[in-house]
Amino acid sequence: MKKVLAMILSVLMVASLAAGCGGNTDTTEGTTDPTATSEGGNAEVSGTIVVKAIETAYGADMWNEIKDAFEAAYPGTTVELEVSKTLETTLANEIQAGNYPDVVHLATNRDAKITENMINNMQLRDLTGVLSLTNPGEDKTVGDKIIEGFTETNATNPYGDGKTYLMPMFYSPCGIFYSANLFEEKGWTVPTTWDEMWELGDKAKEEGISLFTYPTTGYFDAFMFALLASTDKGIDLYNDVTSFKEGVWDTEEARQVLDVIAKLATYTEPTTTENANDIDFSKNQQLVIDGKALFCPNGTWLPGEMADSTPEGFVWGMTAVPAVSADKNPTSFTFLEQIWSPQGAKNTAGADAFIAFMYSDAAIDIFAKYGAVQPVAGIADKLEGDNKTFYSIYDNGATAVMGGFVATTDAGVTPADAYFTPVNQLVAGDITVDEWLAGIKDANTALGAAVISASEEATDAAA
Amino acid sequence: MKKSGGRGLFVGLCIIPTTVLFTLFMVVPTLEVFYYSFFGGFSKYNITSKSFVGFQNYIDLFTNSTIAPKFIGTFQNTILLIVLVTIITFAFALVYAGILSREKIKGQNFFRIIFYIPNILSVVVISSIFFNVVYDSDIGILNSITSLFGFTVQWKSGNEVVIFSLAIAMIWQAIGYYMVMYMSSMAAIPESIYESANLEGASRVRVFFQITIPLVWTNIRTTLTFFIISTINLSYLFVRAMYGSRAPESTYVLLYYMYEKTQDYGRAMAIGVITFLFSFLLAGIVNAVTKREILEF
Repeated sequence: MKKVLAMILSVLMVASLAAGCGGNTDTTEGTTDPTATSEGGNAEVSGTIVVKAIETAYGADMWNEIKDAFEAAYPGTTVELEVSKTLETTLANEIQAGNYPDVVHLATNRDAKITENMINNMQLRDLTGVLSLTNPGEDKTVGDKIIEGFTETNATNPYGDGKTYLMPMFYSPCGIFYSANLFEEKGWTVPTTWDEMWELGDKAKEEGISLFTYPTTGYFDAFMFALLASTDKGIDLYNDVTSFKEGVWDTEEARQVLDVIAKLATYTEPTTTENANDIDFSKNQQLVIDGKALFCPNGTWLPGEMADSTPEGFVWGMTAVPAVSADKNPTSFTFLEQIWSPQGAKNTAGADAFIAFMYSDAAIDIFAKYGAVQPVAGIADKLEGDNKTFYSIYDNGATAVMGGFVATTDAGVTPADAYFTPVNQLVAGDITVDEWLAGIKDANTALGAAVISASEEATDAAA
Repeated sequence: MKKSGGRGLFVGLCIIPTTVLFTLFMVVPTLEVFYYSFFGGFSKYNITSKSFVGFQNYIDLFTNSTIAPKFIGTFQNTILLIVLVTIITFAFALVYAGILSREKIKGQNFFRIIFYIPNILSVVVISSIFFNVVYDSDIGILNSITSLFGFTVQWKSGNEVVIFSLAIAMIWQAIGYYMVMYMSSMAAIPESIYESANLEGASRVRVFFQITIPLVWTNIRTTLTFFIISTINLSYLFVRAMYGSRAPESTYVLLYYMYEKTQDYGRAMAIGVITFLFSFLLAGIVNAVTKREILEF
């Protein structure tokens, strides 16, 4: 009897193991199924369009309104919409199973790196044609409506060949935030160069106010990117750093950027490091509201995030990051969400029309209503209050930088850990700039070796 | 014979559901951890792109110039926490249990409840108590006290300090539970033994070490193994609840490093395997070194 029992159990064990393996093989086969695409664009738009969008702080409602507006503009089409906060989990499975949606709204620089993987595997459709499409009832093409510069960086043209594979959707400029009230009260002017910044720092110190604070070291990405783009080397240095080019950190200009941050560290509010974590970061942001620190690097979401503890009458100010080089303009990094269409899309004409529709007047209004701002001409006029000020940062002469680090496999170190986290230790005086730089150089080498490069045949396909 | 065969079949049928579930959800995943630790180049979002790398993940953890220092540091933090938290928790739990069960003091039940309360709080609550009330740089209890003497300590970000901040919270959380465990087994020690010790003129300390401790020794042994293994899990929960994904490197513990700081699924699984084997080894060692006769004459 014991033997029979043992046998039944072992058969079960083996069976369940085999079942697990079986499932795995199926999905492997699914991914190797290439689906041919055609360059639609002028083709008749009809049928069902499968759209997947990640739900972010803007909420899901706006996408439902977009769906209704699109279906009204293109009678006979149905939008099969999925908006989800956990889109990446389901999307990854569907892509692996070869079940591609037609349109995906999902940015780069996210942990799951799905968009980066699609870029690296050359699985995105060329959307350059969408730029010359015109939405029903309008006379300007999509390309004419998008602000210049937003379809020219590696955030939208990942292969640097002048072709747009990802369309710019929502952007959110980052800069340095301050209390406009405090500056008015003290009669100080907002510095536009680092020399003026240090001068102000000393002046503020006498009054017991620190020059600088930061929510967490994670916010140094946008800050450092802006600095990198404003040295004598300009945008090239930023591109080299984000693509982990060998030797980039040996340059004088890269060192200048670290020196600026290191000097800023000496002006940093002393309790900042204590609260520079995911739980307490708002205490650091509160320092600006309370007038204990002057500047804090952040993004346009800050006033909303701090609304509960902001006294009435408080006015936020936002300025671009002063340039490292005297010859350059102040710079502001912008986060950018992208929309793209995979090569496996079935309804390509529908996908193109849908993506073009994102830049129709109707869609722009719907998105703007929910605070999601697109890089289209005249957008600042549609905004109100703080956002109007923040989004006009580029109109006021700041240079825009966007994109981010290229995708790598796990090199045992992340850019965030090697480049930004040590700022805490820098402020605490535990490390020197040289030690910080040494760590960055090591990470740059390790990450440079781990960059996911596109396979050769995929490169041919794109060229 | 026939009768017992029928009963055997019945028992067999009854345990099939449990066995299937156990196999599917415990055995298979555990084996998969071992299996995946031999693969590299994939994350949880693209499991199909994996390639076989043999023992490379393990070798990297101990020799790769970028990974090894972090991993070994993480391992050291984990061991430090296990040793420190275990020793202090057990010392306090035993002494408190001894006092509360043997001595006649006012408000015994009150103290018992006070000590036990941390245990019914979730780790998240404890973390926020410590982070916001005890360690806070402005309003924290500890810095309010130290500032009387003219200095403040960075409990949450100071490099050498944070691991001890973590240990304090873990000890605070654990003492009550183990104290109650020991109190219950101390209550089972026959009063007559204590009486005869009294008649012999043994001091309280001597009674504690020569009667109480040996007689609850089996209990101590079991709880020690539990505690060491749960420390591996709890330390992760505390770091995660206190710092989210941005913990200072000096608080990295094995599971935190595996979950938060390793994107490569294969390498994460290798860390999982090492943690798994380490727990087993530790439990074995603890079992072996604490083995002794209960009654010594």
